[in-house]
Amino acid sequence: MSEPYVMLEEEGRTPPPQDGLLCWLTRPRLPSETVCWHRFFGVLQLALIALLFLSGLLMAFSYTPVPGTAYDSVDYFQFSLPFGDIVRGVHHYAWNSLLIVMGLHLLRAFVVGAYKPPRHPVWLSGLLFLLLMPLFIITGDLLPWDQKGYWSTQVRFSIISSIPGLGDFMVQMLRGGGLTGIVTLTRFYVLHVLLLPAVLLGILALHLCLLARHGLSPPMDGQAPARPPIPLLPSGLNRFLLLLLAAMIALAAAAYFHPAPLGDPADPSDTSFVPRPEWWVLFLNQLVSIFKGPFTVVGSAVIPGGLILLLAALPWLDRSPDRRPSRRIGVLAAALVVLIAITVLSVMGYIEHFVRPEH
Amino acid sequence: MSCRLRLAVLSLLLVVPAALLFSGDVTGAAKQTLTAVYSKTAPAGLDDPQWAKIKALEVPFEGKEKFANKKTSVITKAIYTDEEIYFWFTWKDATLSVTKGAWKFDGQKWTPQAGDEDRLSLLFEISRINNFATKGCAVTCHVPQGAPNAKDGKFGTQSEAEKGDLWHWKAARSDPAGYADDGWLTKFSADKTGRRTDAGKGGDKRNMTEDKSKPRYMLAPGKKLGKHGILLAEDAVEITDDSVFKPGDVVTARMPVKAEGSYGDVKAVSRWADGAWTLMLSRKLNTGYEDDVAFDPRKKYNFAMALFDDSGDADSYDSETLTLEFKK
Repeated sequence: MSEPYVMLEEEGRTPPPQDGLLCWLTRPRLPSETVCWHRFFGVLQLALIALLFLSGLLMAFSYTPVPGTAYDSVDYFQFSLPFGDIVRGVHHYAWNSLLIVMGLHLLRAFVVGAYKPPRHPVWLSGLLFLLLMPLFIITGDLLPWDQKGYWSTQVRFSIISSIPGLGDFMVQMLRGGGLTGIVTLTRFYVLHVLLLPAVLLGILALHLCLLARHGLSPPMDGQAPARPPIPLLPSGLNRFLLLLLAAMIALAAAAYFHPAPLGDPADPSDTSFVPRPEWWVLFLNQLVSIFKGPFTVVGSAVIPGGLILLLAALPWLDRSPDRRPSRRIGVLAAALVVLIAITVLSVMGYIEHFVRPEH
Repeated sequence: MSCRLRLAVLSLLLVVPAALLFSGDVTGAAKQTLTAVYSKTAPAGLDDPQWAKIKALEVPFEGKEKFANKKTSVITKAIYTDEEIYFWFTWKDATLSVTKGAWKFDGQKWTPQAGDEDRLSLLFEISRINNFATKGCAVTCHVPQGAPNAKDGKFGTQSEAEKGDLWHWKAARSDPAGYADDGWLTKFSADKTGRRTDAGKGGDKRNMTEDKSKPRYMLAPGKKLGKHGILLAEDAVEITDDSVFKPGDVVTARMPVKAEGSYGDVKAVSRWADGAWTLMLSRKLNTGYEDDVAFDPRKKYNFAMALFDDSGDADSYDSETLTLEFKK
């Protein structure tokens, strides 16, 4: 980009009209707050998703979705191919980070009341995005065909089957038979690398379109953003790439110093293996532990489903136009109670599965 | 720095560490892990001060056959350097057993003595052995009679792709020569065991005449007997005159052969004292031989152990499968 163009842009003035592809590419404008020092969770999610796609693609070149060789192919990729450990580590830490960033993104949107009309479609598309992530993790977890993935999947099947009416059917569809085997692995693989990414891209496109239409949530005091918009190219892209680079370096460093775990190969006959729930499902696992027998469905479906419905219905439940937290004490207090409950359940689950000596 | 900026930076700083903290190994089986600790300097021997600083792992063993319903344990430690890995073991054993059928002369004739030897064996995966990670030696060595990979005391893996690295320390047959037999395990066939010896030279040489009535070799003049009074093959000379022996003399029946090549990769230093064995085994992390497991400190390895107390192959104490990990 020419220097006068940048100068004009920095001064907040419209550059002179240009022709051609460059002009077309540089025409779209983004609010400066889309990605800036104090607001970047949304774009960081985009960067993490890009890293997940890229690292996943590289892993797919070596992966074989067959129980007898899946583990070996992952082992080979991680330990025998150059940078295999880094690539798999980036993939592993990217989804863990993505969950955390999504949580923070959701929390911020909640606190600043970004779900309120007219931006409620953006909120709803974001929730869809949130719901999709566990499916990625659940399907991806089985792919290395290690003990953790195999037995975690068994536990998940057991939880899913507790859903009245649909549970057994869903398990049958996912497992593809009476036992978790080659058909299950193939289905999970197809879901993980084809179907779910396609759905993700669709939801992402929807979220971004709605965002473009309704805009970012403005400052709570109602004043217009102080900074002028930036062109998508190159300023917006540069900021994104900077964030992508930073995330990639951080995740690669994490992968280098703490390689992604790969447990023992799955042994379906080893019933002594007790999988520990991962951090993001500790509270759900604890809920399932509390509600036993005929009440399992309360912990496995009613409460989590109810929470999702509450989040989805939030724009209609909290109708006050005021977005300032000080004027939404009731909603925030209710959210705080839920957050505390999730934290307490997670801590209980952590103690039960990671601290107690029998584990 | 503005409040918003501080909050944002703090949030970012929390993301990756939190992911690291919570996304570690979440396997939940009660499998023991032996951690090999990195050291710049190799342990000089059994009493190197480095061993005292390392956390020990007490590995339980359960008896089989004549040791059925008996239990014992082996204290285990491991150190690795840039080039080699060192294992340190100690276990209680009230009797030093190194007889291994040694010949005894009564003035008239030679008789093989009753008595076997103490042994410790380790089995690692060279390539993945199906279900070894969870069932250990129960799928390779100590398999039930009639299993597809065992017959008449012979055993092995179920396919050629599954290979194991077998380290076999023998108090009478390898230790006096300073090594543990290095073998490997491959597919069992009905007429051939899956156990193979590594390339090179080693093992023991039988000391008996063709009619199996007496020893064939004795200590060569000018040579000294090895550890525990064991005659090494390289120090032996053919017996030409029995009159040099007096009643009560004992001659080794299985003479350790000095190892060469891949056979002798696993060096051994041991001591039996105060009713306990202490043993150090060491080997290059990567020998470059296809019949050896190549240790990559980034990986974890499954291995299992068996202990033989003056007993044959069938009578042993076996450990569950363990995980070997490396920590810098």
